[in-house]
Amino acid sequence: MVGSERLPDAQSNQPASGSVTAGSLDEALKLRKENPGLIPYAGGTDLMIEGRADAAYLFLGKVPEMKRIAQDDEFIRFGAACTFSQLICSAHTPGILRDACLQIAAPAIRNMGSIGGNIGNGSPKADSALIFMATNSMLRLVSADSERILPIRKFYLGRKKLDLAPDELIVEVLMPIHGIDNYYYKKVGGRRALAISRVAFAGIMDVRDGIICNCAAAFGSIGDVIVCLDEIDRMLVGKSVEEASALKEAYIDAYNMAIVPVAGRVSADYRKQVCMNLLRDFLESNHI
Amino acid sequence: MKPISKSVPKIDHCAKTRGLAEYVCDYDATGMLYGRILRSKHAKADVLSINLPAMPEGYDFIDHRRIPGLNRVHIVQDDTPVFAERTVEYIGDPIGIIVGPEEREVDRLLACIEVEYDILTPEFDARKSPVAFFEYGYEKGDIAIAFAHADRIYEESFETGRQEQMYLETNGMIAEYAQGKMLVHGTMQCPYYVHTAVAEATGLLPEDVIIAQDVTGGGFGGKEDYPSVLACQAAVAAYVTGKPVRVVLSRREDVEFTSKRHPAFCDIKAAVKDGRVTAMQIEAVYDAGAYTTMTPVVLQRGVIAGGGVYSIENLKVKGEARKTNTVPSGAFRGFGGPQMFFAVEMMMSHIAKDLGEDPLDFKLAHTAKLGDATSTSGMHHFNVPLPAMMDEVAQACDYRRKKEAYADQQGRLRKGIAMSAVYHGAGFTGIGERDIIKAVVRLRKDKDGYAEILVANTDIGQGLSTAFTKIVAQELGLPFDRVIIKLPDTGRVPNSGPTVASRSVMVVGELLRRAAARLKDEWLDGEEQVIEERYVHPDFMITFDIDKFQGDAYPTFSWAATAVEVEVDTFTGDIRILGAWGSYDIGTPIDENIAVGQMEGGLVQSLGYGMMESIAAVNGRIRNNSFSDYLIPTAVDFPAVDVSLHVEEYPEGPYGAKGAGELPLVGGAPATIEAIENAIGVKLSKTPFLPEDVVKALY
Repeated sequence: MVGSERLPDAQSNQPASGSVTAGSLDEALKLRKENPGLIPYAGGTDLMIEGRADAAYLFLGKVPEMKRIAQDDEFIRFGAACTFSQLICSAHTPGILRDACLQIAAPAIRNMGSIGGNIGNGSPKADSALIFMATNSMLRLVSADSERILPIRKFYLGRKKLDLAPDELIVEVLMPIHGIDNYYYKKVGGRRALAISRVAFAGIMDVRDGIICNCAAAFGSIGDVIVCLDEIDRMLVGKSVEEASALKEAYIDAYNMAIVPVAGRVSADYRKQVCMNLLRDFLESNHI
Repeated sequence: MKPISKSVPKIDHCAKTRGLAEYVCDYDATGMLYGRILRSKHAKADVLSINLPAMPEGYDFIDHRRIPGLNRVHIVQDDTPVFAERTVEYIGDPIGIIVGPEEREVDRLLACIEVEYDILTPEFDARKSPVAFFEYGYEKGDIAIAFAHADRIYEESFETGRQEQMYLETNGMIAEYAQGKMLVHGTMQCPYYVHTAVAEATGLLPEDVIIAQDVTGGGFGGKEDYPSVLACQAAVAAYVTGKPVRVVLSRREDVEFTSKRHPAFCDIKAAVKDGRVTAMQIEAVYDAGAYTTMTPVVLQRGVIAGGGVYSIENLKVKGEARKTNTVPSGAFRGFGGPQMFFAVEMMMSHIAKDLGEDPLDFKLAHTAKLGDATSTSGMHHFNVPLPAMMDEVAQACDYRRKKEAYADQQGRLRKGIAMSAVYHGAGFTGIGERDIIKAVVRLRKDKDGYAEILVANTDIGQGLSTAFTKIVAQELGLPFDRVIIKLPDTGRVPNSGPTVASRSVMVVGELLRRAAARLKDEWLDGEEQVIEERYVHPDFMITFDIDKFQGDAYPTFSWAATAVEVEVDTFTGDIRILGAWGSYDIGTPIDENIAVGQMEGGLVQSLGYGMMESIAAVNGRIRNNSFSDYLIPTAVDFPAVDVSLHVEEYPEGPYGAKGAGELPLVGGAPATIEAIENAIGVKLSKTPFLPEDVVKALY
């Protein structure tokens, strides 16, 4: 295991000296506390493109505690430095997450890119973050002095604004095990590989004995943050499928009011229409 | 297949796969100055002043006032300046070049330059532009009578988009000036084009200018005209500073500020009598961008393609290229043809559907035949193999069964299939080869019996050096390793013409074959011999009159039948290519693997033109200037393309070969768009057609 070490120094377009590699979680947290200016990363697939000459980095890809995938009664615990390829290959990874990971970029990027980076980058287009939002997953945020578990739905405060203290790291993602097998997922990109999402939709419909225990819809790539509207989803929770069918149009109308996409690589109208089409299909594929 | 067609490893294969090939950006830059271009931030403006930051020693800024020769880049005409003098005409129009020994310092200084502009009103809409750079047209038969007697008259407007070549290697040049001699080398298709331009801009005598091609990572037409611009800028800077100057464009710079395929608008009016098209009146407007660059020749080729592959008795075609304040449009594989063929193919399919006939049958009934007049009242001197090719493709893709199965679909996912028929005229338009290019090739045999090919044509990844080597080796009866071909350098090679117009194998390859045959006849062991061959115009041709657009525009044609099958997701607009089939007649392939690879690549590029590749120029600004924003197809998007070669030998080409490179890009878009149309049941008239367009059409 590599200890704290200086990365190779600085030719003209290399990152500024001061970049460091952490060998353990304790060391990572200590470095993070002492050098809040360091940019934490595990894969670097987003940062590499920026190629900032003035930045210094904290490399977390060799922190064993952040590379693990484990499971307890309630959660699957994904270390934040786990790569998408690692998730795709893991038997613990639920179908909805595997589907999303398989559509991220291309194999080379999936081999390097990490879920922690995907979450911490703060992009509303983050494909794995969408799944964690839909499944109401939790983030384990740790600093040298503290630790907290935060629902990911509370993590995003605004455009690229995170509820993350300067000394904290995203260490694990806690994904619920139960109630996420019946899912709906669609990524709409400009092509079939190496595509940034233009609209992404994930839905969970947990029906037990004819009663909807959980209904969740998440919309990616339509605004500053991934959109999850629990207050609308609750319209259908506790209802039978028949009762939900009667509420279907009201539920869709509520989203129709609430979803106000922004224009980007595609128009706002296009995003809106696709969101509504997929939302309706999500319900109809569940016989609602 | 003939013995020559048997595939061999490409002669540049090992150097490229092992990373040994030296591209312009690989040269050791020690002692060189880095150059970066100062570009206009406005689409149309007068430059009032340029305020430079304090320049450290060794750094310099050079604008039009310090150009030693003429401030023009000779392309076809001379309106492109090396650096703008007063008025800038598009976002990115070069104003000057900043050079210095440290790349980052050059970047920093560039960012500190303040340009004061007087902003003028730009024009972005070619249809509204009052400036027509070029206007061409011709007529055959009598359209007035045909329209007067028509049973039905159809009118439609079509639109095609701006496409980027996206070669892997960006444009780059190194210029060195010493002892009165200018050497410019870099990535390029046409060394002698660059040579003429650099001599004029530097004021040097032609014999004091040498242009050399470096290993070139793709061109697709994008390195036909633009290298002349960049070479002039680098050469001027090298002349002024007396130091070698290296200018290599970043990807974003290359996408935003180098040539693209002309966007075009095409209005067609067609007369139908007894179920057959008797007349077409076509009016096309091509968006030339800010300067003329390759536009006159592109427009000529587009106009000549009026009427497509069909024998239309009465035809009136007019094309205009209008100025807009956007990046100049230039050469791109297909060269004016894809725009016109798209409109004609869509029109034919739409008329067929309205008449209740399958578009394939309708097209077959109109296809030109041996001996028929061409659009410009020349003649089809050779067999037109399209009926057989269309039948081959129809069998391969199961066209008729699928066409029937895909009628009247409901539900989320809907499929469609369609076929196009196109040609590409092989070689330069009209009498260009005879009167303008006048190609010369040489073979030099040394005392040890090695034969060196001396031509100016460039291998840009398409396999040309392998093809030439095969031709010469075959004719001489020598093994490949006795035939030498090096990167061309105007100090050593004669002007065999540019590497464009799908001409290199057909025209230059044939000259080499003749030279090799002569060398074999005159072979003297142990002596150095030089054999020269010059272009001979085929005597069967009806001389083309470029003023009237009458006569044989091309000696022969390469033909393609292309079918595309799609599945459209009506919820998301997603278009999935289920299959693409192409039958291509390029005459005898000089190397089967290379030819098939070229057809596959071109087909994929044409599918991109149909449903993916779109340069968004909003108020003259190109925003999708990177690989993540300008999407081109990946291997996953088009998993299988089914390409076959249908050989109609051309007696004037080497072993029967004709033009190859551009053909496969012409037919994919109309087949794709019609397939989408058939899937979603909405009449379409533009390419590219993107997911967003699907959703707009359906909801």
